[in-house]
Amino acid sequence: MTTEKMGVEDVVTTEMPPQALPTTTYGPIAETTHVDAPMGARILDVRNFSVDYGWGENAVRAVDDVDVHLDRSKVLGIAGESGSGKSTLVYAITRLLRAPGVIKGGEARFNLGSDDAGEHVIDLVNASERELRSVRWSSISIVLQSALSALNPVVRVGSQFEDVLKTHRKDMSKAQRRERAAALLAMVGLDEDRLDRFPHELSGGQRQRIMIALALTLDPQLVIMDEPTTALDVVTQREIISELFELRAQFGFAMIFITHDLSLLTELADEIVVMYAGALVERATSRELYEAPRHPYSLGLLNSFPPMHGERTELMGIPGSPPDLAHLPTGCRFHPRCPYAMERCTNETPPLVEIKGTDRSVACWLHVGDPGVTVPVELSRVATSSTNVEPSKDVTR
Amino acid sequence: MNDATKSPVQLAARNLTRHFSVRTPGRLLNAKRIVRAVDDVSLDLVAGEVVAVVGESGSGKSVLARMLARIVTPTSGDLVLQGTPIAIKSKRTLAYASQVQLVLQDPFASMNPVHRMSHNLIRPLRIHGASENDAPALAEAALRRVSLEPPSRFLESYPHELSGGQLQRISIARALCIEPKVLLADEPISMLDVSVRLGVLNLLRGLCDDDRLAILYITHDIASARYIADSIIVMYAGQVVEQSKGTSLVDEPTHPYTQLLIASVPDPSDPTRDVPPTGEHAQIAIAEKGCRFNPRCPHVMDRCREEEPPAFIVGDNHTSKCWLYADHEVAVEVALSTRRREGETATT
Repeated sequence: MTTEKMGVEDVVTTEMPPQALPTTTYGPIAETTHVDAPMGARILDVRNFSVDYGWGENAVRAVDDVDVHLDRSKVLGIAGESGSGKSTLVYAITRLLRAPGVIKGGEARFNLGSDDAGEHVIDLVNASERELRSVRWSSISIVLQSALSALNPVVRVGSQFEDVLKTHRKDMSKAQRRERAAALLAMVGLDEDRLDRFPHELSGGQRQRIMIALALTLDPQLVIMDEPTTALDVVTQREIISELFELRAQFGFAMIFITHDLSLLTELADEIVVMYAGALVERATSRELYEAPRHPYSLGLLNSFPPMHGERTELMGIPGSPPDLAHLPTGCRFHPRCPYAMERCTNETPPLVEIKGTDRSVACWLHVGDPGVTVPVELSRVATSSTNVEPSKDVTR
Repeated sequence: MNDATKSPVQLAARNLTRHFSVRTPGRLLNAKRIVRAVDDVSLDLVAGEVVAVVGESGSGKSVLARMLARIVTPTSGDLVLQGTPIAIKSKRTLAYASQVQLVLQDPFASMNPVHRMSHNLIRPLRIHGASENDAPALAEAALRRVSLEPPSRFLESYPHELSGGQLQRISIARALCIEPKVLLADEPISMLDVSVRLGVLNLLRGLCDDDRLAILYITHDIASARYIADSIIVMYAGQVVEQSKGTSLVDEPTHPYTQLLIASVPDPSDPTRDVPPTGEHAQIAIAEKGCRFNPRCPHVMDRCREEEPPAFIVGDNHTSKCWLYADHEVAVEVALSTRRREGETATT
């Protein structure tokens, strides 16, 4: 499994002038974007990445041989249920994973951009604490699901901004720090007076906005969002998502967006990877995944969200429940719940391979071109939508 | 009258209201403020029908469910169980609990973690009068009803050995094992994995259709309400702002809040749709005077700031509490099922 499979972005970087690329779902990136590195360049490259919980014979593989990559200013969505390894993956990449979590193999390279001295690439897996400290928050920041437990409950909001700026921007004066914090709050639609509040005095939506403002304090190149809106009401979620995308249009940071809500993800991500029981099962652009899923699990997930329009019909979702990672089924992990399971699925694990003639990958024996296998209609649909959900990709066509 | 015998109202709530008084921080010690958690809510739970209550956190939907379960005492209002008025200020009786059961959101927290499922299931049966010999068989039957096979395997397990979806099914089985007529489900799927949610929704729908249970389904997810409900009620700040039979509320929302709620739901089938401005941040903006939604409403008029709107009839079995429909007739009887049945009786 190598990056060469990821066709589209590679083509983009070689054939298109870099300036043509940066457009987003929610409007073009402002020309004043601070990113110096060439647009479209790969910012994160993760290969053959595996993570265990525990050691020796009790080890449970939570992330199994996963490849993900992300280009500058793009949004990668990671979809999966609880226990699928999506959060573990990003905590391991950012080296925030604590014992008993152990990185068992693979590489994760973060490209800081290039200057006269050449490209600055950090090998996150082997980086020292000092190197990590230099990229955390200033280049990679993370927004966690539970804002109440991520914010310090006994410290006013303002001091939490102060701490970050004091550590990473040593030349700033106290007044400048306060000004910067107020400007950040204004960016997420909050008044300056919130700086003098404690986290418990704020609503869930306000706390999550503060988390986002904190994550953007040092102009990061990559922001990781771990279920940032799952605990919020749907209206608040909508507000925060649209604010987030306005900010991304303004600052051009790349995003990894983790959620179990595939319908939300298809609205906002450029590309989506679907994880099941620790492994990637499908990778596609969000439009392709929504309109023409290839993996039976992706199809099942999409059918698990009752529609808001049309006739009410009975939906079946996915039978059974997600497997226990300590006792994974043999062969394809999804086969006990899969309506299309074949003999082969019970004893051979399908690799994640590119589907011939496309730029998307799937880990399913239905799609390996086996002449004896007929692909079901619902798993061979063609994406027809011409809506401009991914203008950046349309440039290439 | 045939219809009335087929679908009797199992539990009727009229003008249920619950106010909480809270201390205001930073004021004198005794300065208290009244929070109107639920205000004047009426509804009918009918055998064989699912009523969905949709609202954001803080809309009062859980307090409503707890009042119907008689865990929270209403400030005022009436409850009628199978035609018998209930003294709402008195203590809940075992007889009431045997007819009305509540299923909670978090299946992990609602099971005793140190006991096997057999204990968790047999105890309520014994409390409600099953003999020691009968109880295990009844517990097995309840597990079969929620499609957990073989039941013996589940009776032997501890809560930590089961998945969220299985535990939630057991919570439902536990509520059903004493054969109640009304099931109150408070966000039963929000803690579950996406892929097992539909299974639980289909289970609830099946119990309603096959066993003629009356189900109240409380949720923040309007898409799931549209999926299983026979009628939908939208609550905002403790009040019913819009309600309809069927899905007309979702298909043609009339109240500005419902419109905002529906537009906010992720809808990949229509990514270019317009989302109306969301107004002030939620939770801060609940007006004390006039329509409670007025600080956030894009259509706000002077009248909305002064007078609270009544529920106007905006369609067939569809009411909306908004001054935009001031030229429509005002609904007199607020609970929809009653109106519908009276109307149908009149025609037969």
